[in-house]
Amino acid sequence: MRSLSIVAGGGLAFAAFAACLPQPPPPHTEARPASSVPADPFAAPESRARTAIDAAPPAHGPAVLLQHATVMTATGKRYSPGFVLMEGGNIAAVGEGDGAAPKEGTVVVDVKGRFITPGIIDPHSHMGVYPVPDTDGHDDGNELTDPITAGLRAEHSFWPQDPALERAVAGGVTTIGVLPGSGNLIGGRGIVMHLVPQRGARAMRFPGAPEILKMACGENPKRVYRELKRAPTTRMGNLRAVREAFVRAQKYTRDWDDWTKKQRQPPPPSESDKKHDKGDDKQPDRDLALETLALVMRGDILVEWHCYQADDMLAALQIADEFGFKVRAFHHALEAYKIRDVLAARGVAVATWDDWWGFKMEAYDGIPENLALVSEAGARAVVHSDSAIAIQILNQSAAKGLAAGRAAGVKLEDDDALKWLTANPAWALGIDDQVGTLEPGKRADVVVWSENPFSVYARAERVYIDGQAVFDRDHVGAPWSDFELGVRGMPAKQEAR
Amino acid sequence: MNRARNRTRTAVGLVVASLVALLAPAANAEDAQAIAIIHARVYIPGDHPPLEDATVVLSGGKVVAVGAAVAIPANARTIDARGKVVTAGFIDVGTDVGAVEIDLEAATNDTDARSSMTPGLRMIDGYNPRSAVIPITRAGGVTSVVVAPARGLLGGQSAFVDLAGDTVAEALVRPALAQHAQVDEETVQHVAGSRGGLWLMLREALEDARFYATHKAQYDANGVRQLSLHRAGLEALVPVVRGEQPLVVWAERASDIEAALRLADDLKLKLVLEGGGEAWMMAEEIAHHKVPVVIDPLEDLPSRFDRLHARSDNAALLSQAGVHVVLSTFASHQARLLWQRAGNAVRLGMDHEAAIRAVTEAPADAFGLKGYGRLEKGAVGNVVVWSGDPLQAGTRAEHVFIRGKEESLETRQSLLLQRYRTLPFAHDGSR
Repeated sequence: MRSLSIVAGGGLAFAAFAACLPQPPPPHTEARPASSVPADPFAAPESRARTAIDAAPPAHGPAVLLQHATVMTATGKRYSPGFVLMEGGNIAAVGEGDGAAPKEGTVVVDVKGRFITPGIIDPHSHMGVYPVPDTDGHDDGNELTDPITAGLRAEHSFWPQDPALERAVAGGVTTIGVLPGSGNLIGGRGIVMHLVPQRGARAMRFPGAPEILKMACGENPKRVYRELKRAPTTRMGNLRAVREAFVRAQKYTRDWDDWTKKQRQPPPPSESDKKHDKGDDKQPDRDLALETLALVMRGDILVEWHCYQADDMLAALQIADEFGFKVRAFHHALEAYKIRDVLAARGVAVATWDDWWGFKMEAYDGIPENLALVSEAGARAVVHSDSAIAIQILNQSAAKGLAAGRAAGVKLEDDDALKWLTANPAWALGIDDQVGTLEPGKRADVVVWSENPFSVYARAERVYIDGQAVFDRDHVGAPWSDFELGVRGMPAKQEAR
Repeated sequence: MNRARNRTRTAVGLVVASLVALLAPAANAEDAQAIAIIHARVYIPGDHPPLEDATVVLSGGKVVAVGAAVAIPANARTIDARGKVVTAGFIDVGTDVGAVEIDLEAATNDTDARSSMTPGLRMIDGYNPRSAVIPITRAGGVTSVVVAPARGLLGGQSAFVDLAGDTVAEALVRPALAQHAQVDEETVQHVAGSRGGLWLMLREALEDARFYATHKAQYDANGVRQLSLHRAGLEALVPVVRGEQPLVVWAERASDIEAALRLADDLKLKLVLEGGGEAWMMAEEIAHHKVPVVIDPLEDLPSRFDRLHARSDNAALLSQAGVHVVLSTFASHQARLLWQRAGNAVRLGMDHEAAIRAVTEAPADAFGLKGYGRLEKGAVGNVVVWSGDPLQAGTRAEHVFIRGKEESLETRQSLLLQRYRTLPFAHDGSR
């Protein structure tokens, strides 16, 4: 139990750190009762047990005890040597030394000299919706027929046979946020996925994860719709279209609230014929797009907003204030360093690459110190990939961001950069109560690395999701994807340094 | 960002002003002070371990001495590189550096011509030595690049430049290094409709060039049959069909690689393969033909049907089979990350020293760039002092010498960092 108390201390330390973060200003809109906008049944929050249409509930194998490794927890604590005990899908204990004598039936794995971290979480992936190989038949990431497609769900485009998924796991990634593309201002709902092979998208859903919404600022929507010769073609056109959509969602919310209120009131004894005609009683039509935006304003859906430039992010925050919602994370955000004080004060996470730049005008001011500066300012920095290749080496992205920051004089611990890969993206996706750190009670999403994960030479050797081994470099079997059967392309055992 | 894929078509006119006449030897090289880098771990050419506690002396733009016990010129500037590593400047042979400022801004993008058959296009005509990309690439320890056309069945002639100098003439090393042919799915689809059609066009163009080379007088007198290319294109292909200038063929599928090897045999071409997603499946044949292969070791996905068998240990398997492996980023803005490509090749099974050779002497040898990519007496003074293992995350290029002269590591990005290091920044007019 010694280990438990140590971890609790770490958790408290982290909570204290979080409490020191500058707090966002109070919302500009007054508090209001939860609206009665119906929730999409597709979005019904799942319990930890999966439903029948999903995968069968995981059958938890024997407990696994990983011993003699350097354990990096993303809570500020590091144990060397340390152990991680996984049981019933969760982390049962983590700490220094070997841990308590294992119960009978526990599989004990000696990972001497290795490093253990929480599973990497990439909040910005298009795997499954833009799968490989790149074909017209599977080009399902951007519905470029209207700039506001808030009613879409990436889940419904997701191809679970994407061969890229298994390669991401081989890079130590256990959870991804799958988003629609950025051609639309409001592209649709994303989905948080646990990277376990399944036959359908829904079965891969991260149990209990909140709904997320992909929005996009700047160049992409205006470029797409300029080519289609329709609005928006400018940044002001972008913002008008977003505001108009939320104005419609406000009316939608009112209509449902009014109707619900009337349903609850008994009809007045007299005069009822006048005030209570049939027209007023009609249930409002459901509108999937407005429903999504109404739930954003209610705080039930987290906003993941693609924005590169500082000025675009500030404009986006103005819109969020106008309609009373919060931006959970800006994605790409290459100029976040210019407004890191604002982002820190408002509690907006920054999900970005470590050093991409220059591929378009709004990406011209990207600098490799972005992650470090954002982190130093007290905002949550997150490494994302947006790429089925970059996702395989996100640990290197954090390493590069860490090195660039240190060279610029930013004081950073290794654990800070680990948070960019695990704890902070967990928060950006609203699953930080379940994953992102190595703490008892959290899901056992765990990676064993061949060496320090901030080395370019480090390889994920074992990857566990819910305590089950999903990748073992010594036992790479048949490919996950049906598509790759008969194709010799998988990472093989020959990959020895 | 990948040079060969999804590149926005550029709408720029061809700049055909002849630069060859303007070429002059770099003026500043001779003036540079002698440099002695001492106590360093030094990577030397060939299959040798690095020298420990060694000295590298630069003078007159050249490497004049490398070794454990070499004389240091009396007035040399000395750099104590104890605990540091010295290599030849890295060379990326697959870039668009200097040819594009912002990929999606067509007006700043000179990476290719509008047509697919432009063998006469010379990338040097679009090279901008003042591009913001150049200092950023240099700060990553890359001292020379090949600037190659991004697309085209015969896309044009690449240039080889050093990443220094204020003028094209100063930067230029070889104005017409190689001819570049894209034999990938995109080109098949947009140019010829099928692989057979594409190889037909390529073969016809090269055979016409061979015919032209021996019938120039008749051609000029309008006395020859119609040829598949205009004069400038035919002229550009003459050194290719004579086997003097490499033909770089971007091919991914094993059968396309096989076809390229066959074409090179038939027409006696000097072939270099690029892309090579399935090259590992042809490793023995490629080694037998002594054809260099330029690959990006991070490209491990079956991202198109022509590379379904791509795998992450491509570089290692090729290297172990004796293939001349060259590593590239195939990038513009991120060519600065060539070290990371080499580091990943090591992670994925390649020998560490082989990976360093694959970004120094291997690219130089693949293109016949004498004096480049190696630390030995008489070599060009392109040298990098690294804070540690050059292939490791967190290592920095601390000193970058090009033709013996130390280059500034200030970049547009370092200026942005400086401006925003503390908030709120002040517009004090100093920058």
